[in-house]
Amino acid sequence: MKHSWLIAMRELKERVKSRSFLLMALLGPILVLGLTYLLFALGGSEKKILNVLIMDPQEIMSGKIMPKEDPNIKYSFTNTYVDFEEFAKYEEYQKFDIGVELNEKVISNKHIKVMYRETPSERVKTRIQYHVERRFEEIFVKEFTQLSVQKFREIKQPMQFHFFNVYDPKNTDSKLSAWAGYFFGLIIILFIFLFGMTILRSVSKEKSNRIVEVILASVSARQLLVGKVIGIGISALFQFVLWSIIIGTGLFILRETVFIDLLDPSNFNPQQMTQEIANASMQEKLFAAREYNDFVELVYERIQFSSMLIFFTLFFIVAYIFYGSFFAAVGASMGSESDGQQYIIPIMSLLLLALYGGYYTVYYPEGPWANVFAFLPFTSPVAMMVKLGIGFSANDSWELFASLGILLGSALLMFYLAGKIYQNGILQFGHRLKAKHFIKWLKKS
Amino acid sequence: MLELDSIYKSFYRKRAVADISLKVKEGEIYGLLGPNGAGKSTLIRIINKIIQQDKGFISFKGQILSSKHLNEIGYLPEERGLYKSMTVEQQAIFLGRLRGLSKNDAKESLRYWLQKFEIEAWKDKRIEELSKGMAQKVQFICTVLHKPHLLILDEPFSGFDPINIELIRKELKQMRADGKSIILSTHNMKSVEEICDRGMIVHKGVKKLEGNITTLREDKKEGIFAIQFQGNMIAFANALWTGYEIVDKEVLADNRFLVHLKMRGENEFNDLLATLIPHVKIEKAEEILPSMEDVFIKEVNGPQNTEDEA
Repeated sequence: MKHSWLIAMRELKERVKSRSFLLMALLGPILVLGLTYLLFALGGSEKKILNVLIMDPQEIMSGKIMPKEDPNIKYSFTNTYVDFEEFAKYEEYQKFDIGVELNEKVISNKHIKVMYRETPSERVKTRIQYHVERRFEEIFVKEFTQLSVQKFREIKQPMQFHFFNVYDPKNTDSKLSAWAGYFFGLIIILFIFLFGMTILRSVSKEKSNRIVEVILASVSARQLLVGKVIGIGISALFQFVLWSIIIGTGLFILRETVFIDLLDPSNFNPQQMTQEIANASMQEKLFAAREYNDFVELVYERIQFSSMLIFFTLFFIVAYIFYGSFFAAVGASMGSESDGQQYIIPIMSLLLLALYGGYYTVYYPEGPWANVFAFLPFTSPVAMMVKLGIGFSANDSWELFASLGILLGSALLMFYLAGKIYQNGILQFGHRLKAKHFIKWLKKS
Repeated sequence: MLELDSIYKSFYRKRAVADISLKVKEGEIYGLLGPNGAGKSTLIRIINKIIQQDKGFISFKGQILSSKHLNEIGYLPEERGLYKSMTVEQQAIFLGRLRGLSKNDAKESLRYWLQKFEIEAWKDKRIEELSKGMAQKVQFICTVLHKPHLLILDEPFSGFDPINIELIRKELKQMRADGKSIILSTHNMKSVEEICDRGMIVHKGVKKLEGNITTLREDKKEGIFAIQFQGNMIAFANALWTGYEIVDKEVLADNRFLVHLKMRGENEFNDLLATLIPHVKIEKAEEILPSMEDVFIKEVNGPQNTEDEA
């Protein structure tokens, strides 16, 4: 193990010192932040003004949400319940695009039903959630606590918004959190591909410059493989930690400085507001701030980062070993440094299948294939991240551990098989890699 | 120091080495000779535990060779390789630690060797900045850094200029004098004659010859003598008459010749000298031993080698 550790540390140092590692650590998070922001910003380009009907029989919201709270959303109120069918068919409701139902127990159960005719953009969804939830916070604080609104926000439980298509109410739910899970799955696949290729290059480079023979005179092929996979794996985790820190800090700094929460009453400064409104560009900034807050709201309060990150790390590590073994086996089998590139295509296809599996799970979380994707080791890292994003009920949490267990078992098996190919292929030079080589080296003890 | 007892190894039913036994003593340089593909590298990899033999035993210092002995072995493979982006010092520390040295010991040992070869300035240079010959030298240092008791060198002189070949040769002789054992696999027969004490010729995976290098050459001698003399060539030939056969002759100058000849009948070297002394002035006379190259070629191309290979 000491030898494997020495090899791992050498790999880690080499990776971390490389320019591509630093570049990835800087560009990756900027790209992620930029793309996510763009996603929300572009969502705001729709010109249509949405008519939203708030069904509030208890009149909790009366006078709390201003009809023109948002330039793109017009709120109206009714003190009756309207069910899906009425909302879908009755003439008086046809002018409303979205209906928000505040049931009589909303203060205790925190569930809010939202019905729509056309699927609203994520931006519109988060805005409505934001407006309703912020007002609820004020109601909660006023009626039930002695706390300030800000203090209350730190300890509150988020409201649960359930989105339904009025014409097909059973079909869909909010996919926002599923997409957040998909994003984590995407990061797993991206990192597996990038660092898997690093394993492949590192193995084939050692092989082609023949240092491998010197190393193998001190350590066994398996120790070398273990060291390599661990070293590159740690560098991948380190890269992810850098991403998390940069993205997290970036969001935090932006929220605290540039996009200070102007809607928060405790930050409200009428004089400053008047000044800012007088200045057109500042008004834009105000608008941007509000938009950004929707995003921050999603990022900081809707994604369950703690469990997401724990399972992300677990799935990432195990999936990395699983796929990394493939890459190591191909790298060790190459006859020359440029040989065997065609064998990367099947691995890439499997990675793409994993992404497709995740995409499918977002849309059909209960579909027949979703369960297959969730347990198949090739696809489970993404599918499970999506499922985790949607959330598991206490009864279903075994699925998460079962899927992780299957993946772990498969990873160990793959590592064992890749170790055999590695051991037998690493000292073979000058051939043109064919599928029969893999079989031959697998059979050999 | 090292003993191989009837080692067999095949790759996918193709024989690589068969029934090879050898002994390398302390303070000895042992030559492993053979044409390309003879099985030398396989044998070396088996000794280094890079691959496992199918049959046979290897003992090191009286114990069955195991991974724990690897720290006492140094290995310089034929195909040289170092991590190109690492500096000489990083490389030496990494390889030294893999061979059981502490970081400080590796640094200390590197300093000693860099001073010895007068290349201290290379310490912080990356391998990719060094020429091929320079990198070879670094690799040699990395091989001996941990003061191994057994050194296995595969073509250690290839890629070196004559000055560095001499330098390496001198170091190897010094190590032998210090009681270290060295296995030298090479095609350079001149080096074998010069520094190897004993050796083995392997061909197609089997041992063809083994023994003391001088004895191997003695065994293959054909009774040819070289005589360098001043005088008349006709008088020389007449004096020999029927008792000797001239194999080759070379005119060195006017009345100065070098002749290779073979004895006939019961004649001996002293008889030859006695026959010639009255007729010509002898400048040099010696029995010709075949070079290791001749021994090697004869052994590899000899008629007895055509029958094997299953």
